Amino acid sequence: MNDIANSKKEKSWLKRLVESYGLPRLIITVFLLLLLVLAPFVGADLPTQVSNIIARFSWNGILVLAMIPMVHSGCGLNFGLPLGVISGLLGATISIELGFTGAFSFVMAILIATPFALIFGMGYGWLLNKIKGGEMMIATYVGFSSVSLMCMMWLVLPYKSPNMVWGLSGKGLRTTISLDGYYNQVLAKFLQIQIGNLVIPVGTLLFFAVLALAIWAFLHTKTGTAMTAVGSNPVFARAAGINVNKMRMLSVVMSTWVAAVGILVYEQGFGFVQLYTAPFAMTLPTVSAILIGGATVNKATITNVIIGTILFQGIVTMTPTVMNNMIHMDMSEVIRIIVSNGMILYALTRKTEGSK
Amino acid sequence: MSKKTGTTKNEKLGAFLRRGSVPLMFIVLCAACIPIAGLSPSYLANEVVTRMGRNAFLILSLLIPIMAGMGLNFGMTLGAMAGEIGLILVADWQIVGIPGMVLAMIISIPISILLGFFCGKILNMAKGREMITSYIISYFMNGVYQLVVLYLMGSVIPIKHSSIKLPRGYGIRNTVSLLEMRQKLDNLIPLTIGGVKIPVMTFIVIGLMCLVIVWFRRTKLGQDMRAVGQDMAVARDAGINVERTRILSIIISTVLAGFGMVIYLQNMGNIPTYTAHSQIGMFCIAALLVGGASVDKASIGNVFLGVILFHLMFIVAPRAGAAITGDSMIGEYFRVFVSYAVITVALIMYETNKRRAKSAEGERLRQEQLKEEKKA
Amino acid sequence: MKSKRKLLIRIIAVAVLIGIAAAMFVVGRGHTVYFDNKDLTAADGTEYKAYYKIEVFVGDKSVAKLSAGDRGMVTTMGQDFSMVLHITPTEGGKKVGSAVKLKLPYDMDGIILNLPALLSGAAEEVYQDEFIPAVVEEESEEAVVTDEFAIPTEE
Repeated sequence: MNDIANSKKEKSWLKRLVESYGLPRLIITVFLLLLLVLAPFVGADLPTQVSNIIARFSWNGILVLAMIPMVHSGCGLNFGLPLGVISGLLGATISIELGFTGAFSFVMAILIATPFALIFGMGYGWLLNKIKGGEMMIATYVGFSSVSLMCMMWLVLPYKSPNMVWGLSGKGLRTTISLDGYYNQVLAKFLQIQIGNLVIPVGTLLFFAVLALAIWAFLHTKTGTAMTAVGSNPVFARAAGINVNKMRMLSVVMSTWVAAVGILVYEQGFGFVQLYTAPFAMTLPTVSAILIGGATVNKATITNVIIGTILFQGIVTMTPTVMNNMIHMDMSEVIRIIVSNGMILYALTRKTEGSK
Repeated sequence: MSKKTGTTKNEKLGAFLRRGSVPLMFIVLCAACIPIAGLSPSYLANEVVTRMGRNAFLILSLLIPIMAGMGLNFGMTLGAMAGEIGLILVADWQIVGIPGMVLAMIISIPISILLGFFCGKILNMAKGREMITSYIISYFMNGVYQLVVLYLMGSVIPIKHSSIKLPRGYGIRNTVSLLEMRQKLDNLIPLTIGGVKIPVMTFIVIGLMCLVIVWFRRTKLGQDMRAVGQDMAVARDAGINVERTRILSIIISTVLAGFGMVIYLQNMGNIPTYTAHSQIGMFCIAALLVGGASVDKASIGNVFLGVILFHLMFIVAPRAGAAITGDSMIGEYFRVFVSYAVITVALIMYETNKRRAKSAEGERLRQEQLKEEKKA
Repeated sequence: MKSKRKLLIRIIAVAVLIGIAAAMFVVGRGHTVYFDNKDLTAADGTEYKAYYKIEVFVGDKSVAKLSAGDRGMVTTMGQDFSMVLHITPTEGGKKVGSAVKLKLPYDMDGIILNLPALLSGAAEEVYQDEFIPAVVEEESEEAVVTDEFAIPTEE
């Protein structure tokens, strides 16, 4: 009996690996490794490619991190990410408007974004507490509505800084605002390491590490475990005397604030502030990144964030170069759309316990 | 919430106001914007009638999944894609006029059935979050659509005409002209009343579709769908194949959306190959909701009221915005914002109502329990 | 028994649809017909002279008034093509009416008809020619729009 069981176990170690690591994640990892192996053969410089992946990881990591608190408290994937992004954008534009420059403008942007993130997060959290069970769909549309509302606001709000408004009419913000002279690359250039073509933006990575560590530490405090309890078993949590609504509210506020910081870090790497419909573009890639990392609708860890962001950004950066050089056909856009949305679909269709 | 409890006049009025609040809001909005926009009544009437012919069929395709309790079918985009593929092929084969439309519709049927089946299967795996899933499916399929249209058409699927094909030899151009099909259905029976051009034939087709939907509600399948929509567990106990019924409702909706897209594009006269379908889902859903529909209840009346109000707003908002602020972009953003906001509000109302119903049910059960305990 | 009937109905429905589709292929094929009122020298050396003026009517509507050397066009559906020509052979000459009926080749999108040759009763390959549109290429390849969630292209 035991022997048979053992042999069965032996035979299925591959299966178990697949199960524990997740089939989609395995396929994507293999695909990325394949791209990395192929890269030198098609004439792409491997260190440059790796630098690109690291750079893009450092830009996007914190945005993906913003998924964690809400997933933990059972609010599902944060499709309302644009709300946090908007807080960040308000911080960035007001900081520039007030005339701060250099690294200080980055600090001020975060400080100014914070009250917005808190207010928006609280409103958003209050709403999500009213509609438990339908969070994801409504979050999506709250994101859409707020982005399109802000589209009007960017035109109407009394910004004056000549670096930001349309030159001709002297009012209304431009769609992209250059950060030269402000906080362009402030984190990336801090302690930057360069070995040949390999560039590592240590400052940005450190910033990510600090935030990730803070969230990890928070999740292990009493409040943090209570939040996880609310997400995994709300009935039990209520019985244990935890204020479910308060916990969910806290998680939403946290997610929104981290997203606000995330977009500022993204901008310092990218070098531009993107307004108007640009926040739309952040949501789905971010959601699918954490899912590729192995998270589910109601379970996510820091490791998921790191692995997911590397895999997702790896594919986004590698496919165009390798594909272009190999078959002279740039299918990377299409592949990205199919992979990222396919990943979200996969996560949505999996049976999840205690999510409702 | 259950039907057994008698509704007093006050409650009825409350329910009416809740249901009618969105259309009422829109009537006020339009009434305020029309004088500011300063458009002539005949222009407005023309635009509204044209847009009604253009959109009504597409919106009708949303009714059946709502009946089956699957919410707003964001997956109608899939049908729109199928319709577009049919039209692209027909444009390349140079089949023109109404025969071209009919052929495009026939081509779209198998594609729609396939896509609808896929969509229905996945939605069955994601019960309880159909809407977000169908929404993501539409994005996923958009990727597949691009793969087919941008890379396979011209290389695998033969495309002859260079007016359709990208110069690189494969893939379809950003816009495909349907000049020879443009408004052929609308103008089949020409009629102009008081300066307003009326697409008689399109309205006849739409009217027939309404009759089909009314008839369909009474068929066995239609009854099954309603039962599934009310309570899946009860329907299953009654011997209804719930999964199959749900898949069928999505397939029907997808096929109809494909037809609707063909009608829509014949009116436009060209296909914006990569953008036509992405907007269509949102605008149709917003229009239906503006007409007073909710996530779980929608009628044919909602469709027509919605088309009129939503598109009236769509026409006057940019003009009114420009007149007030002097910036035409504000109005553009405003109407997008309103479409999103309407959907958001409808979704919130649906979810809160659902929760209220649930807690009312829980309260009722608790009361019953208490009664029984007292008896014992 | 019931399932057999169901299957039969389905097969018939599919067949009917395919039938309609096939009919649409025949009925709905669009052509662009170009009329030339130009001098033409056939391969065998026969010369056809352009008329002073020709007016072309298709379906009771005047679609083109052609002086010598002109070209007109009309779009049609299906292969049966009929038109009425009002011909003025020379300046100040008398108008002559002539009804023409002909079958268009299915696989040609654009068909050039040389009216002088056609009216003189020349063979089909003489008066008829395929119109091949000059390919006008924009220099740059069109930018392809993708989904609204696309990552901004920064490179």
